Amino acid sequence: MAVIDQPNQTKPHALIGLLSRSNFISIVSIALGLLVWEVCARLFIDPFFLPPVSVIFLGAVELFQQDLLLTHIGVSLMRILGGWLLGSLVAIPLGLLVGSFLTAKRVIDPYIHFLRFIPAIALVTLFIVWFGVGELSKILLVMYATAFIVMVNTATGVGTVHQNKRLAARTFGASTWQIFWRVTVPSAMPSIYVGMRLALASSFLVIVAVEMLAAESGLGYLIWTSKLYFKIDWMFVGIFLLGFLGLLTDYAWKMFGKHVIGRFVRTAANY
Amino acid sequence: MTISIESVGFAYTTSGRTSPMILSDVDLTIPEGEFLVLLGPSGCGKSTLLRLIAGFDNPTNGQLSIDGRTVEKPGKDRGMVFQDLDSALFEWLTVSENVEFGLKIDGVPKEDRIRRRDEALSMVNLLNHGQKFPDELSGGMKQRVQIARMLAMRPGIMLMDEPFASLDAQTRQRLQNQMISIWTEIGGTAVYVTHDIREAINLGQRIILMSAGPAAGIKRSYDVELEYPRNQSDPRYITLLEQISKDIEEEVSKVWQ
Ligand SMILES: Nc1ncnc2c1ncn2[C@@H]1O[C@H](COP(=O)(O)OP(=O)(O)OP(=O)(O)O)[C@@H](O)[C@H]1O
Ligand SMILES: [Mg+2]
Repeated sequence: MAVIDQPNQTKPHALIGLLSRSNFISIVSIALGLLVWEVCARLFIDPFFLPPVSVIFLGAVELFQQDLLLTHIGVSLMRILGGWLLGSLVAIPLGLLVGSFLTAKRVIDPYIHFLRFIPAIALVTLFIVWFGVGELSKILLVMYATAFIVMVNTATGVGTVHQNKRLAARTFGASTWQIFWRVTVPSAMPSIYVGMRLALASSFLVIVAVEMLAAESGLGYLIWTSKLYFKIDWMFVGIFLLGFLGLLTDYAWKMFGKHVIGRFVRTAANY
Repeated sequence: MTISIESVGFAYTTSGRTSPMILSDVDLTIPEGEFLVLLGPSGCGKSTLLRLIAGFDNPTNGQLSIDGRTVEKPGKDRGMVFQDLDSALFEWLTVSENVEFGLKIDGVPKEDRIRRRDEALSMVNLLNHGQKFPDELSGGMKQRVQIARMLAMRPGIMLMDEPFASLDAQTRQRLQNQMISIWTEIGGTAVYVTHDIREAINLGQRIILMSAGPAAGIKRSYDVELEYPRNQSDPRYITLLEQISKDIEEEVSKVWQ
C-alpha cells in the first residue's frame, strides 16, 4: 500500500487536507450556491414556496431549542441504520448460499425475484397491521428494502468469482469449505460492499415514506406535519437533513471501506 | 513422478453442449524429473492439455495417470501457473500472503511457512515486493508471484502456461535462466507451455510440437541435447530452431489457408 493510504499518516493532516486541497473548490461551490439561493429567495420568490437559507437556519435553531431536532434525527437514523444492518445480516448469508448452491438458488430464487419488485412502500400498511405501529414494523420495512438489494449483489458477487481462483486453491489442497471461506467470500466482498451502499440509499427512501404515513417522530414525520402547520421552513430543515445525513452516512461507509476492510474492496470504495 | 497420457481425447462440455474434439489421440509419457516444453500454434490445445494433467478437466477418451494412478482431480502434487495474469491471484492478499496461502491450507507451522515463503520469493526476485497487492504489480511480476506460490508448495510436477509471455526479451531470457537453475536445484517434473520457439529451446530437455486444432495431437517430438544455459549461436541450436520453425509454419498455414 502506498504511504499516503496509511491512516496513521493521514490523520494528523486530515482536517487541514479537508479544508485546503481538493475540497476547497467544493466548499466555494456550496457557499456560492447558498448565496445565490439566499439572494433569489429574498428578491424574486414568495417565501412561502422557497424561504431564504437564513430563515431555514433559524427554523432549525427553533427546532433545536424545542428539543425536537436531535430527537427526529436520532429516531430516523436509528431506524435506518438498524434496519440496514439487520437486513444485511440476513441478506449476506442468504446471498452466499444462493450464489454457491444451485439447489438453494432454485428454491429461493423465485421468491427473491418476485418479492424484490414489490416496493417496501406498498407494504407499509400491511406491515403496520401485522407488526403494530411501533418500531418493529419500521425496522422490518427497512430490512425488507435493504435485504433484496444486498442479497442480489452478494449472489452476483459469488457468481462472478473467477474459476481460476478456485482451481488454484484446489492445487493447494483446499477443501470445499476452505475454498468457500478463503476464496469465495473475500472475492464477493466488493459486490457485498457496493450492494450495502446502494441499500443504504433506499433505506432513506423507505423510512421517510413510513414516517410520513405512520409515525410520531422522525424526519419524514417532521416534513409531513410541517406542511400541516404551514411551517414551510421546518419542512426545508427536514429535507436538508435527509440529504445531509445521507451524505454523512455514505461518507462513513466509504471510509469504512477504505480504512477498515480496504484490502477486500481495493477499488470499490474509490467513488 | 511420471505422467502418462495414453490415446487421450478431449472435448469441452459447457452447460450440456459438447464442443468438437479439441485433442485427439494424444500419447505422451513424461518421465520423472524431465523438463518438457509444449509448443504449438495459438488455439491448438496446449492449455487444455495442461488442464487435463492438472485434473481440472478429465479426458473424454483414453487414460491419463500419474505414477499409475488415474488423474481425476487437482492435488498438491501438481502446481499450476495459469496463463491468465489476473484471475488466478488473490487480489485481497499481498504478494507474501498469496505465497503463504497454500502453506496455510497445508498447515505448515508459522516459522517454516515464513522461511519457505521468503525462499520462494527470492527465487523469483520478489523479496522486496512482498507487501504489495497484486494490482500494484506489473504483468511479469504477477506471473512471478504465481511461480513463487507454486514453488513454495514444492510440488512434484510443475505445470506452467506461458508464464513469461508478457515480458521483454531481456527479462524473459534472464528468467528462463533462473527457471532452469530453480528446476535444477529443486528437481521435479516440469511441463512448460509456450508458443515461442526460442523459449522452447532455451528451456526444454524435450520439446513436443502439437499439431493445429481441431482434434490436435502431437506432431513431433525433439530431444534437445544441449547443455544449459543454451548457447544461441551453437550450430545445433540454430539447426533445431530452423527445423522447428519449418514444422510449426506448416501447422500454422493449415489454420490460415
Ligand atoms: N472452456 C472452454 N469451452 C469450450 N472450448 C474451449 C474452452 N477453453 C478452450 N476452448 C477451445 O479449445 C481450443 C484450445 O484452446 P487452448 O486454450 O487449449 O489453446 P492454447 O493452445 O492454449 O492457445 P494459446 O496459445 O492461444 O493459449 C480452442 O479452440 C478453444 O476455443
Ligand atoms: Mg493457452
